[in-house]
Amino acid sequence: MPSPMFWRIVRRLITANYGRLFVVLVALGAGAAVTSALLNLQIDAKKRLTTEFRALGANVIVAPRAGNSESGAGSTLDASLFAQLPALYESKPVPAVAFLYVIGQVAKAGQIHFEPAVLAGIEGLGLTQIRPGRRTAYRSELENAPDACEVGVKAAAQFKVAAGDSLQLKNQGREASCKVFAVVATGGAEDTQIFINLKTAQQLADLPGRLSLIQLSVNATPDSVNSFIASLGQQLPAADVHGIKQFAEAEGRIYSRISGLLSSTVLLVLFLTSLCVMAGMSNVAVERKNDVGLMKAIGGSVERVVDLFLTEAILLGIAGGLVGSALGILVSIWLGKAVFGVAAQPRLIVYPVSVALTVLVSIAAAFPLRRLARVRPASVFRGEE
Amino acid sequence: MFLRLVADSFTRRPRRKIISMAALAMGMGVATAALSVSLDVGDRLAREFRSLGANLLVTPLADSLPLEIGGVDYRPANAGAYLPEADLGKLKTIFWRFNIMAFAPILEVPVQASAARNDLGLEIPGNFTLIGTWSDTNVPIPDGTTYETGIAKTNPWWHVEGKWFDDQLQQCVVGAGFAKRFRLRRGDQLKVVGASGGRVAAGLPLEIVGILSTGGPEDDAIVAPLAVAQRLAQRPDVYRRLYVSALTKPEDAFARKDPKTMTPAEYDTWYCTPYISSIALQIGEELKGTDVRVIRRVAEGEGNVLSRVRLLLWLVTGAALLAAALAVGASAAASVIERRTEIGLMKALGANSGLVGVLLAAEQLLLAIVGGSIGFAAGILLARILGQRIFGFAPEPRLFVLLIVLGLAAIITLLGSAYPLRQASRYDPAPILRGE
Repeated sequence: MPSPMFWRIVRRLITANYGRLFVVLVALGAGAAVTSALLNLQIDAKKRLTTEFRALGANVIVAPRAGNSESGAGSTLDASLFAQLPALYESKPVPAVAFLYVIGQVAKAGQIHFEPAVLAGIEGLGLTQIRPGRRTAYRSELENAPDACEVGVKAAAQFKVAAGDSLQLKNQGREASCKVFAVVATGGAEDTQIFINLKTAQQLADLPGRLSLIQLSVNATPDSVNSFIASLGQQLPAADVHGIKQFAEAEGRIYSRISGLLSSTVLLVLFLTSLCVMAGMSNVAVERKNDVGLMKAIGGSVERVVDLFLTEAILLGIAGGLVGSALGILVSIWLGKAVFGVAAQPRLIVYPVSVALTVLVSIAAAFPLRRLARVRPASVFRGEE
Repeated sequence: MFLRLVADSFTRRPRRKIISMAALAMGMGVATAALSVSLDVGDRLAREFRSLGANLLVTPLADSLPLEIGGVDYRPANAGAYLPEADLGKLKTIFWRFNIMAFAPILEVPVQASAARNDLGLEIPGNFTLIGTWSDTNVPIPDGTTYETGIAKTNPWWHVEGKWFDDQLQQCVVGAGFAKRFRLRRGDQLKVVGASGGRVAAGLPLEIVGILSTGGPEDDAIVAPLAVAQRLAQRPDVYRRLYVSALTKPEDAFARKDPKTMTPAEYDTWYCTPYISSIALQIGEELKGTDVRVIRRVAEGEGNVLSRVRLLLWLVTGAALLAAALAVGASAAASVIERRTEIGLMKALGANSGLVGVLLAAEQLLLAIVGGSIGFAAGILLARILGQRIFGFAPEPRLFVLLIVLGLAAIITLLGSAYPLRQASRYDPAPILRGE
């Protein structure tokens, strides 16, 4: 048990030279601040980037199992599956849209020349997240009508329609019509499709209660999306649940690059901090030769002396770490806003981790003080270097 | 005398100087590494993003409406327009030709298939899609050279177990779902017949050389050389869709302007910037009769993430520079604080504060230049290691970075020692010499 004397000596050691104390504390504090800011940003970046990657559209598809019938449009799913999808995953909403594809005959209202086109019946929330694109024409007042439809840019050019026009739809004697509320350009197959109400598509295809597939956009990291797919696959044994690999791989790769960059910066910064503190401490070692000589001469053991200096280093590390890490987390909130437009959430785990790292750094930096253990009192008192 | 004092301070206590020099060199090394990596990594990151796949889609302009569901075109094979394969080399003649990273033409043919293993026949019921494309081919460019590209480059997430087919041979890869369903293996023989018309009576034998998994509709298809698809469709030298993967600059407000409303000067700027829209226009100018569309989800996803990641990168560089500056400044400050006695002695011997300041500053500067140079060399090494490990490439050393680093080292050491120097020059020599 350290005596009050021990603490008194530690206090004296720390306050002996305010200039040096300031330098060491600034170095430790700055190191802690950068460390905690980057660590916090690293956790946050993962989350933000997954959100950004959702701009790529759906990443999970629920489709009929292959083999029931021919591949492609032949097989369908029961519409009741759509209601079984989880609304939330990791407490974030999961946009999901059910599709039923029909190849129908289409013409602009008033025309008699019909041409085939793919009609996609849709139901569900978050179509813009599932199928990212740019609307070249959009009339929001028409959107909520039951017969509203959205037309791909190629299809719109083919049928010469714009927002506000009507289309006639036919399939094997069944007829319907719809009013165009938007024209959308995605650069994919959607450009040639016409998006209508699911019920209308089911009626046209004479497939009530059936779906071609469901697309979901799960906002989570690639690993977490995989476990979502696995659990949904178990929940819906009748369907084939799979991920879209195209984006998952790129996302994983890009995130690991960024994460590597942030981690290596944290390591470098910690290393720099320890060097910087070490520079200060090695001067301390030279300066304290006399003190140590005296301590030893009056019976202080080597361990006792080393304990003193270790305690000093740990106290400095805790002080620098506590203040610096808190500052760093504040800075990272602001940085998150600057980079991702959303303030980074402070993670509690970052704080103890970065304080602990700072203390470790300050202990490592006290390495030059080890030399003091070798000090021989006699030569010190004789004034030898 | 002045020089001797400076030289002495280095030779008398080498150990102390070595430590502050090490701190300086390390700080500057980190600064060099951070600067070199982030200067070179922008391009690298943009390339990384090309693993998202093609961002431009070229289709015939005067085409009938494709009836595409889940990657399969349900139009009859003879409907719709085609594009000539021979024109593809022109892609590498556009203004931004070096930004065209890869391209691959696609021709889909509905087929019926049967398989054979060791002469044992296997029926494969149903109609399938055969996707004809290039796996890896040398495209002749009009300037006389060739360019190597293919689907393996445009769609890097397509994994083939085994190997890709040779574009010259009658080989194919089959989708993982297809292979599983009909228990096909590498080495099996596949016989395909065009499903509509089927005028190739005997069918075309194809050797399965790989199993393809893409996570998309291709998993249930056969992928074969473009020439095979052209023979099955009886359409020599044509394709129907072309995927282009281009390096682009993320779209900003300027890029979203309609080129038709731009002034001539603005139009030139827009045309000579690798925006996705200007590259699309240039491809349309070279390949006549085509409609070049931007694959929005890829282009926009890429643009968003890329601009954020770039910003993040600069922030991290800034943080590393800040830490380096602090390390250097602090070690400079520490080294001055330690020399109170010396300063006291110099003043007692008649040196004025200015002279003491200049002497110490000269020492610090010398330290900065030597330490900065060592740090630069170490930093280049560090940048190579980091670049190699994180991004798979080594940044080139740049003179420009050396100048910045040396300048930074000088400024920071001077700044770091300025305050303690000012303090030191005010010291009253008497108490210091008495040891108080």
